[in-house]
Amino acid sequence: MAGSTKGNVYALPPLTKGPHSRRLGIIAYVATFGGLLFGYDTGVINGALEPLRRELQINATTEGFVVSILILGAAVGALLGGRLADAIGRRKTILYLAIIFIVGTVLCSLAPNWEALAVGRFILGLAVGGASAIVPVYLAEISPQETRGSLVTRNEVMIVSGQFAAFVINAILYQIWGHHDFIWRYMLIVAVLPAIALLVGMIFLPESPRWLISQGQHKNALVVLEQVRDKERAAAEMAEVEHLAEEENKTQTAGWADLAVPWVRKLVIIGALVGVFSQFSGINAVMYYGSQLLENAGFSADAAIVFNTLNGLFSVSGVLICIYLINKISRRKMIITGFVLTTTFHLLIALTAQLLPEGDLKMWLILVFVLCFVISMQGAIGPLSWLILSELFPLKIRTFATGVAVTCLWLANALVAFVFPPLIAGLGIAGTFFIFFGIGVVAIIVLHRELPETGGKSLEQFEEEFQTGFIEKVKGSAQ
Amino acid sequence: MSIIAAVAESLEGTLALNAGIDEARSRDEDLVIFNLGLTPVDPSDVPAGIQWRVIEREGRGDRDPVDALLDEIADDPRISRVVIGLRRRSPMGKALLGSVSQRILLNSPVPVLSVRPDQPE
Repeated sequence: MAGSTKGNVYALPPLTKGPHSRRLGIIAYVATFGGLLFGYDTGVINGALEPLRRELQINATTEGFVVSILILGAAVGALLGGRLADAIGRRKTILYLAIIFIVGTVLCSLAPNWEALAVGRFILGLAVGGASAIVPVYLAEISPQETRGSLVTRNEVMIVSGQFAAFVINAILYQIWGHHDFIWRYMLIVAVLPAIALLVGMIFLPESPRWLISQGQHKNALVVLEQVRDKERAAAEMAEVEHLAEEENKTQTAGWADLAVPWVRKLVIIGALVGVFSQFSGINAVMYYGSQLLENAGFSADAAIVFNTLNGLFSVSGVLICIYLINKISRRKMIITGFVLTTTFHLLIALTAQLLPEGDLKMWLILVFVLCFVISMQGAIGPLSWLILSELFPLKIRTFATGVAVTCLWLANALVAFVFPPLIAGLGIAGTFFIFFGIGVVAIIVLHRELPETGGKSLEQFEEEFQTGFIEKVKGSAQ
Repeated sequence: MSIIAAVAESLEGTLALNAGIDEARSRDEDLVIFNLGLTPVDPSDVPAGIQWRVIEREGRGDRDPVDALLDEIADDPRISRVVIGLRRRSPMGKALLGSVSQRILLNSPVPVLSVRPDQPE
């Protein structure tokens, strides 16, 4: 039973068009509302913070706390969500998430003080993390193998589009009612609309066929498949789905005890570092605090919130560029080049802030370099780091190792969100971006030395090469 | 009856396998190679006269290697003894991870034969 192939291509009848393919299109559309909400809820604080600070009287530390607690909630939500989705099913879990999205959003927009806001944002974070973990799984499990990859990247596009949408809506609301302190409440409550859309849409969506098979409900699985494939293809796919459900179980073999084995330990650390370094690039500092960053650089509050929408636009463009480039350049080359670019722009931002006198030139240069940073990050690192994580781990350690890496990624994200406002308050833009620059240099060195190439190989090829290489080394040093 | 050799992905793993082969030969029993690790085990050292089979860990139920081994022993009444390899552990390793050998020694329902690498000195 050792033979296991993720990319195993079953001889399946070709996909056909018809009512079933339209239904699949609707499913993908509704389910990616989860991604859109993920983006909207993480991005909405960017722009809402300035009026929010006036009304709730928060300082740099409580500000960092209120922003980062959503990310901590997301770390918890990602872990629990995966378990829940295995136990009660993907569909039910996403339904519950939609309800949590609605409850969290309402709590946040009605919060009388920053403590209540923090509670609301933690709850919202649970839904954000849950959606980030389950929506891609649901999409991958219900879509045919030919389009699986593109459906999952569509979710990534929806996440950054959600952030962009939040920036734009915040900017518009701010132009209309900017003088009201409570404007941030309107900004936050807007997110309830896509949450309701997700809830209503999800009621009509079917359960994942793969989950049904893992529960022994073969008949129901076939019923679902017949809704989203033609009859012939549905029957043929049952075997594939069954095989994938078995594979899925195998991915859960490894646990903490296996960290005693050097190659396992090393791969898990590399995976965690890919996640942590991508967050320590500070991309989300810009996504959460972009408006304040620009205000700090010299823009008026009004102008900052407008120009912040460019951060969202460049982020979306970056992700589209990344998806275009992703199979044209080797993974290693692309991610290391990405870090060289982002680190260069960190340095340029820091130098501009340090050396230029206050004034127009300084603030425009900072805006340009921040935009360059955002597009390099999303264009060469963002979606790619997730892809590398999905390819890096051999079958038997996949669930465990991905769990560790993604948790580290969320924690790093939360840490950046927490320390960024106090850092800016204490060290200014220059000092803060010199720190990002330093971390970036470490990231380049470590990834250059340690990151194995995963692209252009089947998962099994990579698995074998990495393990044998390692075992030879271990045996060599033991003798 | 059969001997079960608990083979880890390390030097002690090879020791346990070799000791298991000797034991199976001298007691004229079958050999079950239980892979505690995740890389497929290489049974090419087992001599032709011995009946053998390999058990790999697979799935969520086998997440803990010791539990997986003990379950296997509990399910197979033909197993007469376990062979394990001991190793020196760093203080850091002891602090972070429980001892696989200790748990097998304390919990195995059948006798345990343990072998250790030659100590340097």
